[in-house]
Amino acid sequence: MFYSLLAISLMALDYRGQYVERFRTVASHLVEPIFWAIELPFSSAERIAGSWRDRAETRNRIAELELEIAKARAHLGRLADLESENAQLRTLLDTARRTDQEFIAAELASIDLDPFAHRILVRRGRGDGIRPGMPVIDSRGVLGQVDRVLVGMSQVILISDPDHALPVQILPSGERTIAYGSGSLDRLRLTDLPMNAQVDPGDMVVTSGIGGRFPPGLPVARIGSVQRQPGQAFATAFAAPLSAMDRNRLVLIIKIAAQTGQDASSEQASEQATPESDPATGQPMEDEAATRPPEGGDAGVAPPVEDENP
Amino acid sequence: MNRPGMLIPALTTLAAILLTVMPMPDALAAWRPHWVALVMIYWHLETGNLRSLGTAFAIGIALDLTTGTLLGQNALGLVIINFLVGRFRNRLRFFPPWQQALAVGALLINERVVQLWIIGLLERGWPDWSWWLPPVTGMLLWPWLFLLLDALRSQRRLVR
Repeated sequence: MFYSLLAISLMALDYRGQYVERFRTVASHLVEPIFWAIELPFSSAERIAGSWRDRAETRNRIAELELEIAKARAHLGRLADLESENAQLRTLLDTARRTDQEFIAAELASIDLDPFAHRILVRRGRGDGIRPGMPVIDSRGVLGQVDRVLVGMSQVILISDPDHALPVQILPSGERTIAYGSGSLDRLRLTDLPMNAQVDPGDMVVTSGIGGRFPPGLPVARIGSVQRQPGQAFATAFAAPLSAMDRNRLVLIIKIAAQTGQDASSEQASEQATPESDPATGQPMEDEAATRPPEGGDAGVAPPVEDENP
Repeated sequence: MNRPGMLIPALTTLAAILLTVMPMPDALAAWRPHWVALVMIYWHLETGNLRSLGTAFAIGIALDLTTGTLLGQNALGLVIINFLVGRFRNRLRFFPPWQQALAVGALLINERVVQLWIIGLLERGWPDWSWWLPPVTGMLLWPWLFLLLDALRSQRRLVR
């Protein structure tokens, strides 16, 4: 009986956060060998399969990827043009400059965590420069953020976790709110919307960049339904996340290098929040453009990882 | 129980933890039985090796850390199972494995109900009907697991 009480109080402490966090972080390192024990056969099987693959097949694959890169480059070239134009306009408007982003590509570990824990494991850890709190995206949208960093792996908390809150902006209207996880992989809860907010099903939800942890303009979800219950002070919207939460193999971790380095840039980030959101009309276009680089970056960053494997 | 007697239970429990987080095809993932509970019940019933509630608690915490659940969630489930097994051990031991399977199934379903409460309290989403599949697989696997672990144990005895 003593132990069940202990278990219950431990759960309560863990749920309330921070109290047992220290223990969890240390103890997670103790179970990391277990992860590696499972990883090893899978990663070596991948390696062997890679080395056995037919020459012709590999060549075809390379040609395919090269084509893809060329396409992505062309796309990026256009974006670079837009970016410089954007920078010019921004200097004209006298607003803060967007900070450049650096990505770390990470493969998903072949480990099934508890489906109700809303967490995934990726094969990148402290050695690769991963730090807790870094945003994690895939080629389609925001996936979550790094929660716990081990030596060679890290645990990512998904945006669908009920404990996760993400500052977002709904696009055509520019309405800002917070997206909470709902506990199911295909739904986010957007609360505290004004009753008369112009939010319709199909609207795009992007990160607003407020809070400074996520860069602004990353695609997050698409609005599925809006509830305006009479008698309630605020409307609630439900949105379907764009990222393939449990289906992708490769994710990107955004390294916000500028933010950790100098304090000048963090000033920029806080400045960024206010002037940017004022012109509601100009906002959507800029943000649409800004959503693209991560996708282009995907194609650009992925190849080095492919090289490591065979 | 002497020292070498503890080795196999410890190793099989570790193997059970590995099996719990081993990736499985999506179609089968919902059927994954609660390996750790099954192995723990076996050792408790047959040798009384993992009898203490403290052991169950420690195994549960290890499982929580590996699967990324709330600290204590699996620990509570395993402690309750171990308590019930300890309570009914003398009765369960004399059942043939296939009859034991029913009792094991009941234990696993009970554990599932406890987990459901926890998940419900945390508002982590409500599981669908596939939530109840693991006890069924556990029940079906029990006789085979029983024979396997029995074989392991008797082999060990011969060597010694």
